[in-house]
Amino acid sequence: MRVRVDSAACVGHGRCYEIAPEIFEDDERGHCVITREKVPPAHQDAARRAEANCPEQAIQLLTGDD
Amino acid sequence: MSKVVDPEKREINFVEASASACPQAAYREILSGCPVGRFALTGAPVISRYEDVVWALRHPEIFSSAMDLQIALGTERPMIPQQIDPPEQTKYRKLLDPRFSKKRMMELEPAVRADANGLIDRFFDKGECEFDRDFAIPLPCNAFLHLMGLPPEELDTFLRMKDGIIRPHLTHEDMEAAQQYRIQTGKEIYAYFRDMIVLRRKEPKDDLMTYLVTCELQGRKLSENEIVDICFLFILAGLDTVTATLGCNVAYLAANPEQRRKLVADRGQIEGAVEELLRWETPVTAVPRLLKQDVTLNGLEMKEGELVTLLLGASNVDDEEFESAEDVDFARERNRHLAFGGGAHRCLGSHLARMELRVAMEVWHERIPDYEVKPGETPVYSPGIREVQYLPLVWPTGS
Repeated sequence: MRVRVDSAACVGHGRCYEIAPEIFEDDERGHCVITREKVPPAHQDAARRAEANCPEQAIQLLTGDD
Repeated sequence: MSKVVDPEKREINFVEASASACPQAAYREILSGCPVGRFALTGAPVISRYEDVVWALRHPEIFSSAMDLQIALGTERPMIPQQIDPPEQTKYRKLLDPRFSKKRMMELEPAVRADANGLIDRFFDKGECEFDRDFAIPLPCNAFLHLMGLPPEELDTFLRMKDGIIRPHLTHEDMEAAQQYRIQTGKEIYAYFRDMIVLRRKEPKDDLMTYLVTCELQGRKLSENEIVDICFLFILAGLDTVTATLGCNVAYLAANPEQRRKLVADRGQIEGAVEELLRWETPVTAVPRLLKQDVTLNGLEMKEGELVTLLLGASNVDDEEFESAEDVDFARERNRHLAFGGGAHRCLGSHLARMELRVAMEVWHERIPDYEVKPGETPVYSPGIREVQYLPLVWPTGS
């Protein structure tokens, strides 16, 4: 699984780095930064929940290549 | 026929005062009968579906926030950054967002925790309190004082100024007198912060006000007007909203003991509960937007210059977005609620609010796990921002 963020859509709700701190962190403004583009199996559940809780639908999960 | 909507006329008779205690049923009638309509009383357009509200929030070039003149709040200029549009608004958010980041707000957590405990200490042994007055009102106001670098003695001044703007009718029954009082309070707020600017320029401290007088926006310092226009927003947006959310949450948990026991048994559920109750209760029920062009949505024609209501509370119980939207599920997997709005104007203080709500819920349920509304009493909710203005609680004291 890989994860991407649409930086133009992110407005800093911060749900992703709250839910999946192993994958996301916040920049100075509180917007999303991806720290691990390739999501290890142990964190895929958290990555899915981060995607499902982003009000801006800014997170994209790409599965099938892992 | 439904009393809430008239689908034929596309009218909404959403009487907030009566629906405020429990608006979810009315929201669902609006969603099914009149998802894009007009208030019967004013004729103003109302947009309710999740998908439509999200679309409006993400298009500030059509749904503008520049409407200081349309809403009488005692301001002399637009509040910054809430009442200005991108790209101008973005410059200010870049300046302010870092000061309201999650990391920054975590630094305030010990102080908020101590405040919550201190407030509970005052009434714990009595086995009862009026939750709004004794806890929900002072807690966020104290957090604001910490943030601004103001002493706790300023609490009453801030509460008076906030109420003078938000609910002037409490002290002035006559409509015109109330508006006069509101304008006068507005002047007082401007003067208060102008004085504070002078103080911090002379003697800088490590607080938000010092940041505002020293920071630079594209190579220049903020003007005095810009600073007070930012501070005006802090008072209006930062105090009442968390007060209202605390009241809505605790009123819900008092009325639903089986849900409350889940939190008491497992503190790990508090974060999920905060999010789910933000969705379900949506204390800030709606946000206004000013149309910059004609828009037709779902067959309803709306004209440039009309003031549109985006009914966040309804969006947050929309079945199209939320699975089993009527269930309050603290473990909800997918929760893209709009309680803090969305798009460019996402609530600047959302990380502060979330921290305050989580800490308050943790401390309260640690100290007072078992409580109920005082028998024979009924909580009273205000319209607009759903503050539970009267919430008498009782709990066993063990004596």
